[in-house]
Amino acid sequence: MYKAIRSESFAAWAFMAPGLLFLAVFTFWPIIYGIPLSLTDYSVITETHFVGLDNFTRAFQDHNFLISLWNSLVYVLVVPVIQIISILMAILVNSRIPGVKMFRAAYYIPVVTSMVAVALIWSWLLGNNGVVNYLLLKVGILSEQVSWLSTSSTALYVLMFITMWKGLGYYMMLYLAGLQGIPADLYEAARVDGAGPLRLIIHVTLPLLRPHILFCTVISVMGAVRVFDEVYILTKGGPGTSTLTSSVYIFQKGLEQFNFGYASALGLIVSVMVAALSVLVFRLNRRGGVNTY
Amino acid sequence: MKKALRHLIIYVLLILLALFMMGPFLWLLSVSLMPGRNVFANPPAILPTFISFDNYVQVWEFMDFPRYIINTVVITLLGVVFNIFLSCLTAYPLATFRFRGRNLVFTLLISTMIIPSATAMIVHYLTIQAFHLGNTFLGVVLPAAVSVFNIFLMRQTFLGIPTDIRDSGKMDGASEFRIFVQLVMPLVKPGVAVIGLLEVMAFWNNFLWPIVVLDDPQKYPLAAALTYLNGQFSYNFGWIAAGTMISVLPIIIVFLFTQKYYMEGIAGAIKG
Repeated sequence: MYKAIRSESFAAWAFMAPGLLFLAVFTFWPIIYGIPLSLTDYSVITETHFVGLDNFTRAFQDHNFLISLWNSLVYVLVVPVIQIISILMAILVNSRIPGVKMFRAAYYIPVVTSMVAVALIWSWLLGNNGVVNYLLLKVGILSEQVSWLSTSSTALYVLMFITMWKGLGYYMMLYLAGLQGIPADLYEAARVDGAGPLRLIIHVTLPLLRPHILFCTVISVMGAVRVFDEVYILTKGGPGTSTLTSSVYIFQKGLEQFNFGYASALGLIVSVMVAALSVLVFRLNRRGGVNTY
Repeated sequence: MKKALRHLIIYVLLILLALFMMGPFLWLLSVSLMPGRNVFANPPAILPTFISFDNYVQVWEFMDFPRYIINTVVITLLGVVFNIFLSCLTAYPLATFRFRGRNLVFTLLISTMIIPSATAMIVHYLTIQAFHLGNTFLGVVLPAAVSVFNIFLMRQTFLGIPTDIRDSGKMDGASEFRIFVQLVMPLVKPGVAVIGLLEVMAFWNNFLWPIVVLDDPQKYPLAAALTYLNGQFSYNFGWIAAGTMISVLPIIIVFLFTQKYYMEGIAGAIKG
């Protein structure tokens, strides 16, 4: 018996070795190596020195970094909006009517398309002479053209809108999976008790969807704090610093200006904040008495 | 009658949502089919006055699309093969073997999901340079060669395989590796298809990391080449629209033909 377990153990590690090797180099190493790197002034141009916590004190005096943190925090406001709309979408595409699968697929297409393509399409739609301005002027919501992406007061919200639009289908599918796991007789019982559609959603659907809501909230909070592609393609953080999110700023410092040490310190600060934020989301959910995860 | 009215309301909502989600793509298709002058019309042209494929022909002649498509296909294939191979091998013992350290491995894997690494890309860059893989397709693929998400997905699939299969293989004296390849793997083809599809989408659409690793724009995949095209020809709307359509269509077609598996996979992931 003992020998059997030992040989099984050997086989297990042999199987896992290649995968774990890759994970070690490309998943664990960046987490570990980021720490010593953040204590140096490592850049490709000059000699590397140990600088202690200088990068961190510098970070908290770096005006642009603080703005980028704030913008990332504002970006998280997209999370509740995504959850509400995608839950409603999921309820809608959970109807048993002909052709509903076609709609599911249609809503999912933005998810599988590259962010580059999505960003390009929206940048044209939102241009000065673009379709969005044209339609909004026509219905009278706007009185003059708005340069959505080059106006400081609108740019960040427009990016959040694009993130939402691209992500809706993904969360819709996760919620749909949750909805299909809810036994039909629960609805039947509630209906017999005289509950209308709205009460069914509030008293049956939402409570049973809680684990899914928790999961989706956590991954979308992480996604919102890490948001990069759409910002980088469309505004590069501009105009001014109005859409400078923390990932974009870290990328600029690290891979555009090659200040690897400083960028690692910034990354570490953001990572700690994201971890704290996800713990917070979990805590808030636990208080509700659900311990599914 | 009441049921008919409910269906009507649902269909109206579904169609409005479809316009919101698909509208931008339909408009892109429409712009790509417009002859040059039509595009700059004011008010903006939403539907072409007549359909022409000039934009597609011209942009195809201008940009070396076959090259970018080959680059994308090579990167995607490499990425998919690595991911399938590595995540199956890693997930299998986690699902079926009993060994010391199993919980440790599992905890380590989960912890990587909770700790987000914003610095990862910088360290990846240094690692790839240290391996002298800068400006190579391998350098593009390796950092994403295996993902914890895929390991979880495959572990979930392996858990569904009856233990008798392995026992019967052992009775016949087959080695663990032979049991894995000949008895177990054929049973998890659907799971393999799911991670394959997920990775096809991910690698096909990846643009940032390839730009960081590849110095030579000739090696860019489609999505990266598209940003390049946009930078150079921002005035030639129709061309970029056609180029974007060319890059988007293959992945949409793949998705439409495989959506059943793909969506089951996404849905299954959350249960894992």
